[in-house]
Amino acid sequence: MKFKLIYPKWSKMERQTEFHLPPHGPVVFAAALPEDIDVEFTDENVEPINFDDPPAFVGISMMLTIQVRRGLEIADIFRKKGVKVIFGGIATMLHAEEVMQHADAVFLGEAEGRMTEVFNDFRNNRLRRVYDYLNEQPPIERVGTARRDILNRDLYNYKGIQMVDLVHASRGCRFNCYPCAVAYLGGRKFRPRPIDKAIAEMASIDNNRLFIVDNSLAQDTQWEMDLFREMIPLKKKWCSHPIEDNPKVLDLAAQAGAWYVYQAVFDTSQYIRDRIKRYHDHGIGVEGTILLGLDTHTEDFIKEFIDFLLEIELDLAEFTVLTPFPHTRAFEKLQSEGRIFTYDWDKYTADQVVFHPKHISAERLDELLSYAWDTFYKSESQQMKMSRLYQKVIAKEKADNSYTPRKRELVRQAFGQKIR
Amino acid sequence: MQNFIEEVKEKIIETLYLEDVQKDDIDVDAPLVGGDLGIDSIDVLELVMMIESDYGVIIDNKELGEKVFSSLRSLAEYIQSNRSAS
Repeated sequence: MKFKLIYPKWSKMERQTEFHLPPHGPVVFAAALPEDIDVEFTDENVEPINFDDPPAFVGISMMLTIQVRRGLEIADIFRKKGVKVIFGGIATMLHAEEVMQHADAVFLGEAEGRMTEVFNDFRNNRLRRVYDYLNEQPPIERVGTARRDILNRDLYNYKGIQMVDLVHASRGCRFNCYPCAVAYLGGRKFRPRPIDKAIAEMASIDNNRLFIVDNSLAQDTQWEMDLFREMIPLKKKWCSHPIEDNPKVLDLAAQAGAWYVYQAVFDTSQYIRDRIKRYHDHGIGVEGTILLGLDTHTEDFIKEFIDFLLEIELDLAEFTVLTPFPHTRAFEKLQSEGRIFTYDWDKYTADQVVFHPKHISAERLDELLSYAWDTFYKSESQQMKMSRLYQKVIAKEKADNSYTPRKRELVRQAFGQKIR
Repeated sequence: MQNFIEEVKEKIIETLYLEDVQKDDIDVDAPLVGGDLGIDSIDVLELVMMIESDYGVIIDNKELGEKVFSSLRSLAEYIQSNRSAS
C-alpha cells in the first residue's frame, strides 16, 4: 500500500544561515511502519509536494509549531480530494486539538509497535480520531534503525558537502527546563537505547558527520561513557546537545569524535566561563544557544551578556527570544499572567516576540535580539566563524584518515537547487 | 619559482581531489577562485589548511585571502616569501 509521508515547510529564522538537515522524525517513524507499506517521503523544505496522483493514505509529520499552519493547509487539500490524512510528530502532540480539526486521525506518542494497528484500522475503514499513546511509551529496545533510505540525500547537500545525518541514542529527559516541552513529549524518565543498537545505527549511516539529537547526553554518566567508548572505532565526527561536565566524559567524547556542542548559556557566571573552557580544552567547539527575554533579563543584563559571550570565545552563537510553546512551563506561566499577546503559530519562530517581557517592551526585546546578532558577529562574521568550525572537523578527519572529499558534481548546487 | 609553481599546482589538485584537472589546465595568472577550475570559497578553506600544515604559512583573514588567492602565481609567491621569512 502506498503511503505518502509529508514534512511541511517553514520559514527559517531571519538571521540564521539557511540550511536544511535531513529530518529525523519522519525517518524514525518510517522505521516503525509495517513492512508492506510503500512509503514515499516529501520534505517540502527542499522539494514541492505533488498533490496530483493522490495516494491511498497521507501522513503529515510535524516537528515545529511553525509547521502547523502549513501542515493543516496540506491536509485540507488532500482531504478535499477524498484522501485520508493522519498527523504525527512533536508539533502534532503540542497542538493536538487544533490539528484534529483538519485530520482524519492524529497519532500522539511514539510510533514503535503501534503502526500495524493504525494501518489495519485504515484498511478496515475504522480509523480512530485519536491514537493517544503519549503516556505509554514503547520499550526503548524496540527503537530500530531509522529509514534514511526514504530520503533523497542529494537534497541535503550544500555545494557538495553532505549535511550531518541525525541520530538519537536516547529518549526522554530527567530535567524539565523552563522553555522546553520534552518533559511533556517524551517524559521525565531518561530512556537510553541499548548501546549496541545505537552504535549499529550510527555505523550504518553513510556519512562521517552526525548530529546526535538527544535532548541532553548528560543524564547518566556510565551510559554516556560507555556510549562514547563504543563510538571511538566508528571515527564519526559529531555535534550534539550538552555533554556532561566531567573531564573523563569530555575526554572520551573527544576521542569518540565530538566536533562541537550546542550549549545553552544563561548567565555570566564563572561556572559557564569554565564550562566553555573545558570543552575547548578537549578540542570540542561550542555553539552557544542564547535565549533572550527571560524574566531576569533587563536591557543592561542583555548587553553585558553579549560582551561576556565574546569574552568566553564561543565558536558560534545563535540568538533567539523566549517563545512560550504549548505544554512548557514558560507557556503555563506567561499564559496565567496574561502576557502572551498572540497565538498565531506562524509567529512562533523564536525570532519574533510573542509575549510581554518583564523588564522591557516586546519591541525593545526585538531590537535587542538584533543588537545581539550584530554585536556578536561584528568583529568576525558568522560565515568566518562557521568556516573556522568547519576547518576543525576537516582537521579531525584528516588526522584519523576519515576525511571524505565533497561531491564535486554537486558543487554548483545547494539543497537540490542550482546556484550561480 | 617555476618549479615551486608546479609543486603548488600538484598540491591544489591533490588537496581538492580535482580528478579531471591536469597541471597544464591551471593558468598561473588567471583568477584561481571562481574561474574555470570551479574552485570556490570552500576549496579556499581547504587550501588554507593545506598551506598552513604543509608550509607553515597562515592566511587568517578575508582581505589577505582575497589578495593571495587572486591567482596561482600570487599564491605561490606569497607562500614562498613567507616561508623563507620564517
